Amino acid sequence: MKVSYYPGCSLESTGKGYDRSARAVCGALGVDLQEVREWVCCGSSAGLKMNRLLSTALSGVNLALLEKEEPSEVVAPCPFCYRRLASAQEEMRQDPKLKGEVQEVIEAELSGELQIHNLVDFLREKVGLEAIAARLKKPLAGLKVVPYYGCFMVKPGQVTGCENTENPTSMDEILAALGAEVLDWDFKTECCGAGLSLSKTEKVVELSGRLVREAAFRGADAVVVACQLCQANLDMRQGQAGIPIIYFTQLMGLAFGFAPSALGLNHHLVDPLALLKEKGLIG
Amino acid sequence: MIRLNGAAQEKDFLARIIEESGQNLSACIQCGKCSGGCPITSAEVGGPRRLIAEILYGSKRQALEDRTWWHCVACGTCMTRCPVEINVYRVATALCEMAEREGIAPSEPDIHLFEELFMKSVERHGRANELRVVAGFNLRTRRPFKDMGQALTLMRKGAISPGEMLKGSRADERISRVFARAQRKGTGE
Repeated sequence: MKVSYYPGCSLESTGKGYDRSARAVCGALGVDLQEVREWVCCGSSAGLKMNRLLSTALSGVNLALLEKEEPSEVVAPCPFCYRRLASAQEEMRQDPKLKGEVQEVIEAELSGELQIHNLVDFLREKVGLEAIAARLKKPLAGLKVVPYYGCFMVKPGQVTGCENTENPTSMDEILAALGAEVLDWDFKTECCGAGLSLSKTEKVVELSGRLVREAAFRGADAVVVACQLCQANLDMRQGQAGIPIIYFTQLMGLAFGFAPSALGLNHHLVDPLALLKEKGLIG
Repeated sequence: MIRLNGAAQEKDFLARIIEESGQNLSACIQCGKCSGGCPITSAEVGGPRRLIAEILYGSKRQALEDRTWWHCVACGTCMTRCPVEINVYRVATALCEMAEREGIAPSEPDIHLFEELFMKSVERHGRANELRVVAGFNLRTRRPFKDMGQALTLMRKGAISPGEMLKGSRADERISRVFARAQRKGTGE
């Protein structure tokens, strides 16, 4: 299966482990990720707030590039990139004046018919649990995890199309298919503090700290994430809890038999390697 | 209701925010579910319910100086829970654009600085150079060693490398042009 891949800026920098593990896992599942080389930043939350036309135009540049690919379908591991691509396309569909202005600014025409997926739903729906289970070499038996979805992949439901924004289950199902013990908790889509990490650090310490403490209270060995910003905030701003924050693709890769270093599992501040060793999941 | 008796200028403010945000603020029933679920609402930051009340009452200056929309991280929780589906991060954009046009000083200079440095990086290179944005922010706020211990650990582990700051130092003229054209249109030229 061939699909375009839009990694986004963070996956070239602080989120390398997510990029590396996503590529490894997709390769193992027979998904041919085609990175569109000339992609640009989506503007993130800064662009979204500061200038609507500019922010929509940045996604417009990406949409125009991606629409040219065959099939006209993209997967974005970064939840913000995913939501911005999807919301830009939808806002232009609803507002022809905005679409006209964007097309003038980017000097390109847009069809508005790109299929846009986040990585979790792509693997859960398009690849499927059976294919994932069939690739299993080393089930994650005995590993207790809480799945943390964060905001941008699910909320607002009117933009993402997520039907259960308070209790999404797609990542739970993937982790269960890997043999992990998925614990129930209430903080699946509570905010980590997102882009305030530098400018309002104390707020992110409060929000991320609360999340990690709740995960520890539930008895989780690790928090599993699908966003590099959630990963960075929960890892850096959790205080003394000592709970590893692991990408779901890293756990998939581990269960598929990849070496931890090929998945960037050695990159985290709170080291997950000791835990994985103790559980007998790595040598 | 006060909002129906406001001065013409105040009513115009409400109408413009409704138009620019595409959000039907007149339908707001002030139930407060938005602020109840909002991660950034606190004793110091008033939150979306209060912000919408200020707009409805035509308190333009208060709304443009409200810290809520600076703190907004666009998580989308408010819209998800709102009975009339108001998207507050779209309202934040409309207020931010208007405050900029009218020369109102940012009520949260640090958040503004970070967002501006981020967008400058995108404008020049087409992509955000995260480490350079972080270093630039810490220098400009005169806390150059903030998070340095953790940064060094991440470097030792090979998660990040200082050499990344030099990456993409070539200007991306394609994107500089997009910025220039979008900003020209934004000012109504």
